[in-house]
Amino acid sequence: MESKLLHVFPEKCTACRNCEQACAFAHLHEGRPTRSRIRADADSQQREGKNVLVVCYQCDAAACVAACPAKALWRDLRTGAVYHLEDRCIRCGSCVAACPFGNMRWEPLRQYPSKCDLCNGDPVCVRFCPTGAILYK
Amino acid sequence: MMRLTIDGKRVEARNGEYLLAVARREGIEIPTLCHHEAVEPAGACRLCMVEVTRPQWDGWSKLVTACLYPAEDGLIVKTRTERVMKTRREVLELLLARSPRAEAVRRLAAQYGITEPKYSVDEGGDNCILCDICTRVCGTLVTGAISRVNRGVAKKVATPFDEASDVCVGCLSCARSCPTDAIAFSEDGLKRTIWGKSFDLVPCAVCGAATVTAEQARWMAEKKGVAEKDFFVCDACKVGRTGQACRKVMW
Repeated sequence: MESKLLHVFPEKCTACRNCEQACAFAHLHEGRPTRSRIRADADSQQREGKNVLVVCYQCDAAACVAACPAKALWRDLRTGAVYHLEDRCIRCGSCVAACPFGNMRWEPLRQYPSKCDLCNGDPVCVRFCPTGAILYK
Repeated sequence: MMRLTIDGKRVEARNGEYLLAVARREGIEIPTLCHHEAVEPAGACRLCMVEVTRPQWDGWSKLVTACLYPAEDGLIVKTRTERVMKTRREVLELLLARSPRAEAVRRLAAQYGITEPKYSVDEGGDNCILCDICTRVCGTLVTGAISRVNRGVAKKVATPFDEASDVCVGCLSCARSCPTDAIAFSEDGLKRTIWGKSFDLVPCAVCGAATVTAEQARWMAEKKGVAEKDFFVCDACKVGRTGQACRKVMW
């Protein structure tokens, strides 16, 4: 099956941060947008309304997968997503350091890394984006 | 594919799978403290004891550790018999007497109805239950800085000769994978201390927040072949950097 990806359209993003809320609720069951796996890089004055959504690219040759000593990061062949297996994780933080884009994030409260797993093929951020700035295709 | 029975349920298992993995996949609960998916099983905590038998064994059965016992065709596994429960309770009594303050042990013991162990409690006992997760994790996945030392009651986990290890990279994998939080470490700004060795966390090139230790970065670059240039920017600042790069292209 051809895997789909999250496509982001920065020109359509109003930085309403609905995607961050949806992601935080879907994965952590609490409205803590700073722990979302999709981030709207939009909070500073210098951005001038040019909002960019930063979310995992599910790289083919992923640095996080290469860096993981415990093989806790796997490719889901159904969705094409690289997903993080918490049971296998030894929490060394290598993946967070290795990702060049900042899409592998450290959750300080739980002391675990987290990343976008495309919600098993039905990303919630897409459903909650009111302007169509994120598409899954 | 093999077919076996766990608690009366007919289940299938792949060749080489252990009973614990099969049971957990089927939603059958077996308690463990020394099990970690990233490393080979060790059978150290003895909590995953189950009873196995076969029809041709004429009612005879044996107790085995589910984490180390390979699934076999036609095997009958029972995880909650009185003999199993008695063994698990005994193990928990001993663990609770050894490490009375270990939260994971207390929680599990309470589930099995034990709040005060019948054995004399080692009041000065630390939280380490010698489950071997830290030494297996460090030994097989990281650099092998720690191991079990001494024998009998003096057995403990330590670096060679209790000295600061040459090979420890300060990644905290041992401490964070410890089920009983028995491994002490301290973090103060950009200083991290564990196993008697102090590490300097490299500050984020943008905001100055702590990233990884220089030793861990070198280890990752050498052993894993990951480009070192991205290690010393924190995850939040890397998001900003990605956004900036995107803006440059878009507008």
